[in-house]
Amino acid sequence: MANWTQTDGENAGFADILRNFSSMLQDGRHIFDAATNALVGGTDPETIREDLFSTDQRINRTEQRIRRQIVVHGTVHGAQSFPSLLIMMSLAKDAERIGDYCKNIFDLAALAPDLGSKEDRAIIVHRKDRVSALLGDARDMFDAQDEKRARTLLADCDKVENECDAALVQAVRDNGSGAAGLALSNRYLKRVASHTANVATSLVMPLDKLDFFDE
Amino acid sequence: MSRSPGPLPTVRLDGPPSRAELVARLLILLALLFGFLVAIETMSKAIKMLATAGFLGGGDSNELFRGVSNPFAGLALGVLFTVVVQSSSTTTSTLVAVVGSGALSVEHAVPMVLGANIGTTITNTLVSIGHMRRSIEFRRAFAAATVHDFFNLSMVAIFLPLEIFTGALSKTAYWLTGLLAGGSGAEYKSPIKSSIKFVHKQILGTVEALGLEGTALGATCLVVGIALTLACLYLITKNMRLVIAGQIEAGMNRILESSGIVPLLVGIGITVAVQSSSITTSLLVPMCAAGVLSLKQAFPVMLGANIGTTVTALLASLAQDNEAALTIALVHVLFNFGGVVLVYPFAAVRNIPQRMARQLALRSSRNPVMGLVYVLIVFVLIPLSGWLLWSNGP
Repeated sequence: MANWTQTDGENAGFADILRNFSSMLQDGRHIFDAATNALVGGTDPETIREDLFSTDQRINRTEQRIRRQIVVHGTVHGAQSFPSLLIMMSLAKDAERIGDYCKNIFDLAALAPDLGSKEDRAIIVHRKDRVSALLGDARDMFDAQDEKRARTLLADCDKVENECDAALVQAVRDNGSGAAGLALSNRYLKRVASHTANVATSLVMPLDKLDFFDE
Repeated sequence: MSRSPGPLPTVRLDGPPSRAELVARLLILLALLFGFLVAIETMSKAIKMLATAGFLGGGDSNELFRGVSNPFAGLALGVLFTVVVQSSSTTTSTLVAVVGSGALSVEHAVPMVLGANIGTTITNTLVSIGHMRRSIEFRRAFAAATVHDFFNLSMVAIFLPLEIFTGALSKTAYWLTGLLAGGSGAEYKSPIKSSIKFVHKQILGTVEALGLEGTALGATCLVVGIALTLACLYLITKNMRLVIAGQIEAGMNRILESSGIVPLLVGIGITVAVQSSSITTSLLVPMCAAGVLSLKQAFPVMLGANIGTTVTALLASLAQDNEAALTIALVHVLFNFGGVVLVYPFAAVRNIPQRMARQLALRSSRNPVMGLVYVLIVFVLIPLSGWLLWSNGP
């Protein structure tokens, strides 16, 4: 694979953009864990509300900072930096969306929803642990720019998404106790996994196919 | 399944440049600066040759620029020359060479220096016109570009009459020259003069070897001098922009987060480094267009660019023995520095060009032709008319 050998001048500014994005992923995992612990882990939502929302605001502010840095970087370095900057715009949006879905999970948790049987709850717990691990992997993979790891991550995210889809369909069809809570939980988990997968596609897909995983 | 065109290259971050690369770039920069000084010397000697050959009227080389004895004609010529070459640094360097040759007095050159400040703002105004397709972007971009125009026009409106009626700029510059050069009437000894003279002699010898003499020799040397000036300044700017792109980016990011004197210092620093105020101010336009940089944030950077660009003329004066070359370079410094001192500390005063720029940009965003007409009138029609109306010479 071709190596983007960049001038030293271009590295420092772009490295800062990458660092900010990495911090968005870190914050995203933090509020995902907090929100899902409130949903299925027994944490009182009110105890984490302030931290969750302030972290989400930090994620949003970081996205705005990244956007400003993108404009500056593109202006100074010109067209050669254009593709990588477009990627970063897209990725920053994915990281911000992870934060938004975590807020959705928190809002659901605050309603103390019925999540069906004990087994159903256990599945949600297991699934959220996997998604949390995927978020951590995504950050490490992106920091290392590891293509091989990106492909593994994509496959893992795809599995989780399929499981979430199947669980959602089952919950709707059964329409039993906890259907709404289960459907929404799986929907939100799927969306977080999906945006996590989008981060991985930046390492394996061309720009025009970003977010479209070519199996 | 269709084959994907291939994944994007992985972004890998290389380490800092090697010492060898840094040394090489530094040597290139020094060579270009030296070439620039040789160019100034070549232009200056060429003008003397032309005067001696009687090409420019009698034996008095002051006949050469009779046309700019009217200050408004001088101002107009300064604007026009800068608009054509797209570089105030080239204009002021050329003026240093011309004044250094003795062909033009400091007093007659002052309005042309002021004109260079106006002419140079066309570059970022043209950059802003590139945003014309999107109204909101164009409004922000055009305001960012024309605030520089309005500031420079305002300063000329203040300093030109001041110079005409009191000679404030030139007299102060003469006084400073006396302090720096250390004596009156004595020739100012430039420290690297001998090496510049040596290289100039080689250039002269090469042109003479073509069999040219008199007017033809002088004219050819003048063309060589101007071309070398343009080339060296262009390459200095290009080289420095590559070398310090990271620092420029860091400076611009700093501007977004700070206020007060920091943006002014960033503007000075970038402009001194790349030797071009147009580069600095043109970088601001797309950032303002995107809305990440406000007009209020961009304005002090432009003032800093005005100050930073005066270094080029000072450098050019190093190539000249004549104290007058240093004097006209100091006029450039005094004008730009004085402008900032008059405007920057006072909020009510520095808001004036910003308000004017916003108003013009608002109207132009509703009627883009107005923007084009503005450029045509301010940078072409008025100076051209002024030159034709007020110049006395041929």
